[in-house]
Amino acid sequence: MGSVKGCRWKILVAVKQVSSLEEDFEIRADGRDVEPDFLVRDLNEWDEYSLEEAVKIKEAGAEVEVVAVSVGPEVADEALRKCLAKGADRAIRVWEDAVAGSDSIAVARIVAAVARREKADLVFAGVQSSDHSFASTGTAIAGFLDWPHAAVVNQLAYVQGATRAEVRRELEGGVLQLMEVDCPAVFTIQLGINAPRYASLRSIKQAAAKPIETLCLGDIGLSSADAGEAGSLSRVRRMYVSAKGRAQMIDGTPAEQAARLAAIIKKFTGAGA
Amino acid sequence: MSGILVIAEHRSGELRPVSLELIGAAQPLKAVTGGPLAVAIVGSGSANFVKSLAVAGVDEILVVPTPGGEPDPDTMAVAIAMLIESRAPGLVLLPHSVDSFGYAGAVAAAGGFGFATDVFQIRFDEGGCVATRGGYGQKVNIEVDFPGRSVAVLAVRSGAFKAPEGESTPAVTVVQMAAPRARARPIEYIEVAAGDDVDMTTAEFILSIGRGIGEEAKVAQFKDLADAVGATLGCSRPIADSGWLPKSRQVGQSGKTASACKLYVAMGVSGAIQHLAGMKHVSTIVAVNSDSAASIFNVATYGIVGDIFAVAEELRSHF
Amino acid sequence: MIDSQSITRTLFEDFRPLAVTLFYGAGIAATGIFLWGIWIQVRKYRRGARYVLDGSLAARFGDMVGSVLSHRTVRRRDHAVGAAHGLVFFGFALLFVGTSTITLEFDVLKPLFGVRFWYGNFYLWFSLVLDVAGVMLTVGLLYMMYRRGWLKPPKLDYARPDRSPTDPDFDRSAYRIEDWTFLWTLMVIGVTGFVLEAARLVWLAARPEVWNFRWWSPAGAVVACGLRSLGVSATAAGQLRTGLWWFHGVLALAFIALIPFTKVKHIFTASASLMLRDPLASQRLPRVPDSQAAPGYQYITDLNWKQLLNLDACTKCGRCHDACPARATGAPLSPRDVILSLREFANKSLASGTLPDKAELDIHGKNAGQVAMETLWSCRTCMACVEICPVAVEHVPIIVQMRRKLVESGDMDPLLTKTLQTIHKTGNSFGESRRKRPAWTKSLPFTIKDARKEPVDVLWFVGDYASFDPRNQKVSQTFATLLRDAGVDFGLLYEAESNAGNDVRRVGEEGLYEVLADSNVKAMSEATFKSVVTTDPHSYNTIRNEYPDFGGRYEIEHYTTLLRVLLAAGRLKPSRPLNYRVTFHDPCHLGRFNKGYEAPREILKLLGCELIEMGRCRANSFCCGAGGGRIWVADPVGVEKPAQNRIREAAAIEGLQVYVVSCPKDLTMFEDALKTTGNEGRFVVRELIELVHEAVAVPADAAVAGA
Repeated sequence: MGSVKGCRWKILVAVKQVSSLEEDFEIRADGRDVEPDFLVRDLNEWDEYSLEEAVKIKEAGAEVEVVAVSVGPEVADEALRKCLAKGADRAIRVWEDAVAGSDSIAVARIVAAVARREKADLVFAGVQSSDHSFASTGTAIAGFLDWPHAAVVNQLAYVQGATRAEVRRELEGGVLQLMEVDCPAVFTIQLGINAPRYASLRSIKQAAAKPIETLCLGDIGLSSADAGEAGSLSRVRRMYVSAKGRAQMIDGTPAEQAARLAAIIKKFTGAGA
Repeated sequence: MSGILVIAEHRSGELRPVSLELIGAAQPLKAVTGGPLAVAIVGSGSANFVKSLAVAGVDEILVVPTPGGEPDPDTMAVAIAMLIESRAPGLVLLPHSVDSFGYAGAVAAAGGFGFATDVFQIRFDEGGCVATRGGYGQKVNIEVDFPGRSVAVLAVRSGAFKAPEGESTPAVTVVQMAAPRARARPIEYIEVAAGDDVDMTTAEFILSIGRGIGEEAKVAQFKDLADAVGATLGCSRPIADSGWLPKSRQVGQSGKTASACKLYVAMGVSGAIQHLAGMKHVSTIVAVNSDSAASIFNVATYGIVGDIFAVAEELRSHF
Repeated sequence: MIDSQSITRTLFEDFRPLAVTLFYGAGIAATGIFLWGIWIQVRKYRRGARYVLDGSLAARFGDMVGSVLSHRTVRRRDHAVGAAHGLVFFGFALLFVGTSTITLEFDVLKPLFGVRFWYGNFYLWFSLVLDVAGVMLTVGLLYMMYRRGWLKPPKLDYARPDRSPTDPDFDRSAYRIEDWTFLWTLMVIGVTGFVLEAARLVWLAARPEVWNFRWWSPAGAVVACGLRSLGVSATAAGQLRTGLWWFHGVLALAFIALIPFTKVKHIFTASASLMLRDPLASQRLPRVPDSQAAPGYQYITDLNWKQLLNLDACTKCGRCHDACPARATGAPLSPRDVILSLREFANKSLASGTLPDKAELDIHGKNAGQVAMETLWSCRTCMACVEICPVAVEHVPIIVQMRRKLVESGDMDPLLTKTLQTIHKTGNSFGESRRKRPAWTKSLPFTIKDARKEPVDVLWFVGDYASFDPRNQKVSQTFATLLRDAGVDFGLLYEAESNAGNDVRRVGEEGLYEVLADSNVKAMSEATFKSVVTTDPHSYNTIRNEYPDFGGRYEIEHYTTLLRVLLAAGRLKPSRPLNYRVTFHDPCHLGRFNKGYEAPREILKLLGCELIEMGRCRANSFCCGAGGGRIWVADPVGVEKPAQNRIREAAAIEGLQVYVVSCPKDLTMFEDALKTTGNEGRFVVRELIELVHEAVAVPADAAVAGA
């Protein structure tokens, strides 16, 4: 474990390698997940913003080290490399077989343990992941660390070493809330807080040369009871494609489709008149 | 452990509608869980909501006054933990809202309760509570259960359940709590400037556009189409974020809820969860998208897979 | 009988030794300044990055001499200017060579070896030739003045589309002073030469060896007769001669001294630039060496020495400005201004003895001499500028290199960022799953071979648009049917094909291009085939010209040449002539990039179509606007798009029925432009493949153009 020389300060950014589904995907034989062949993986969209926010703080001149952390098998290295390409100083991946089946809470416990080990000063996480959208990992990390926190932050004002940050949260219905948060703290970052930079393939390739620290549960003071199903607060019983709820499809040429749509609209506006 | 605890939500002196939906979700489960259905309302001025919360099925209203204005995340977490400890419910329902994003995970983590978010179906079987939520961008449904957990805390999707009809005369209990020192302190609310005078919440017929339109230049075509068919033009988050339409036209979790809408035509909207939150309750939804696998088709009444520009152009010729 | 030795011009006749010394002093000073100026320029070029020339220097020199003497590049698309420049060039060259012969005898052969030749017949022919040369020069200059002063072609307007009128460097008016000074200086040198000649004739009219041979210098003789008829005496003429001699001589020396510092240097730089020409400059972009810390050009010193010299070759003729589709549709880009900006920047920052700080060498930005990112992103890399440049300036590689820097720092349109991420993730620009690439084949009544599983004669590289765009999928199905009907043994790479990367590379995302090229080369190495055909000119260009750098060497052709062969060999038989009145749009990557002008035209002829060419055709074809990744970026609202400009050009053709394209992106761009320009119903946009199919199909199956 190394750290960037001269950096007295550290932001931990929790990131996830999310999966989206290809068309015509199939459910795994045990019925509890999708066949991995049909998963298209990428860095979670929200995490692009939280990483950018951390890198921006670094680039603003703070003596800060940005550490990206992900909990996942080797495929998650791709997401971490993207983070390194975008300006993270170090990357840590936590995995062992016992971690499989972890829910957002078990993942949060692991990230919190890494934050303790790294003596992080701030932890950023995305508001939610685009695949399972629990929207709880970040806040649960704060729970395990017993740190102050704010969720759905779309503006962050913080200077290195300050004892509090001022954040703006994005609530429902176009309402914003200003909040003052004591630090160290955990923030879950909302889309639109910044404009994430493009990681060129060249920088991704260069990042491939940087090491990704891989840790197991023992390295961060946890045991297999803290992860996987044992450490989770929920368990997937079944995954299925909803039979109902699929729209009734209107086929045909665009002209025919539009004619049907026009009829639906006219029926509605006619009835409403 | 028995009974159900519902955590109601309010903001700026108003009860949020999702609070009643949670009661609606809890009501049919009472037979299985046994015990009372208690609704807790935390915060200063919380007593004002007693009347609104006295709806069918509610056995008890727990008023938890706190000093200061809106409850901060720390206070909410402490209040809920205290209520769970003192009332020992088997099931706790919270709204899946931006507010609960700020405390639910911490409450579950600290208490080791069974936990799931964005839940839209709840049932019980021999294995206990089973909650259904979406996965992989709402393309699949996932049933989760909570083996070995005596309490399940579920954050429930708004719009998934109906508010109960009828009133009740529940007992009202004021529960005092020692408020913790708030480490995250709300300062003020800001209403985002409307941008234009349109009100998506009162529009009955909305034509919404999303990322699929590709470029700003195409907005005009759909504005014209919406005017021609007599619809209010709405949009999804990416369109408002790009500044192609004012924020006031954004439908969804961080935008407006299409509360009065009866016909919703979504063109080039893929159906991200934030958008669905603002419109999936609409009785007739027509989705037009080039991607047959788009999540929007899971909530739509009618679906059209095709080129949105071609369909829009053809549609225009009918009006 | 006059002694032939006396038929000559006595140099420095009647000059005092001091005057002669003075003149030699001036001559040496002028040469010194000239050489010093050359050194300044050479030092500037030497500060550029390394560049290794390939090919033999002798062959390059030969090509250059050929281009210069034939004036091939100067005459193109502007014959009047070509002729006028020819007059000035050859007039100037003859005068220079002629004058040099005087020095050869007077300063070298006579003093060293006592050899003389500058008398008698040689002298008389010398007089005649130089007089004619002087007349050529004068006439050429007069036309150039007329053109600048009265014709005022728009391409000579230096107002810049990438600056606003309030910017100090908006119209580059200083250049206009330089242009006119150049013209007038040459003119004055020429005219004073004639008057000087005439003054000498009048002055020495008493000498038969002078006066009797006056018509050997006809222009001078005419002026001399004029002077005499005005009553100018021999003495007065002698005085005039002395005065003019100094004026003419000093002006000429000053002109020479200033060559390296003014536009006159194009005499050298343009020739050198032509000699250094890379015929594949735009077609085969350079790789980024692994040793290079940051890709692309950020500093002026990142340009290689050849490119720095290219900048100096520019004569501001404005032909690239004229040809550029971005400029023509109001984008903030003129290839001319990119070159001039960089030249000004180089002249300012690289002129002094020591290099300034790195920060002062940054060529990106909005300050004077810098190039704005909006300018760079406006480029369609259509190569129109490179193709027409008479002095072999290669704009496209410079623009792409500068874009590489922008890509690295993420300074680009969000839509473009998204597309690049999509291509990285899925291997195609449509964001579709790899599995769906061959989905268009499913509705065919036959199965196309999988070249990964069984050997085929022809591997068809389909490309993104032809694979995923619904309209183009129909064309792909039609082409597959044609190949099957013609009995061609062909196959696909199916899911293993990725975006060919041509446009990704021209965007400047070199890392992603490397990934795509490597992936396709690997996929092709695992298939067995004899040759490659592609329906996509963009894929065609990069596979043909750029994949060899990645170890992929294939025999590849665009479908037009394959269909031409199949038609000519009777393997596809038109059942009836189509009799359409058509026009043909040359795709940049097939035409300008790879000179594939003939095959599509021959096919149209074989199909019985009447081809009416648009004004801008073949090498001068006008880009549809999709190139260089611009298809992934929205064009500004309310401004004419290149494709609309082009469709309007076609719409002017009387009775046009079909606008024929041979590129998937063209089909998309022009069908859209047909609608948005309100020309729908007047004529149709069709792929050449569709016309071939219509002609060979039995009439009952044939679609009717316009239906």
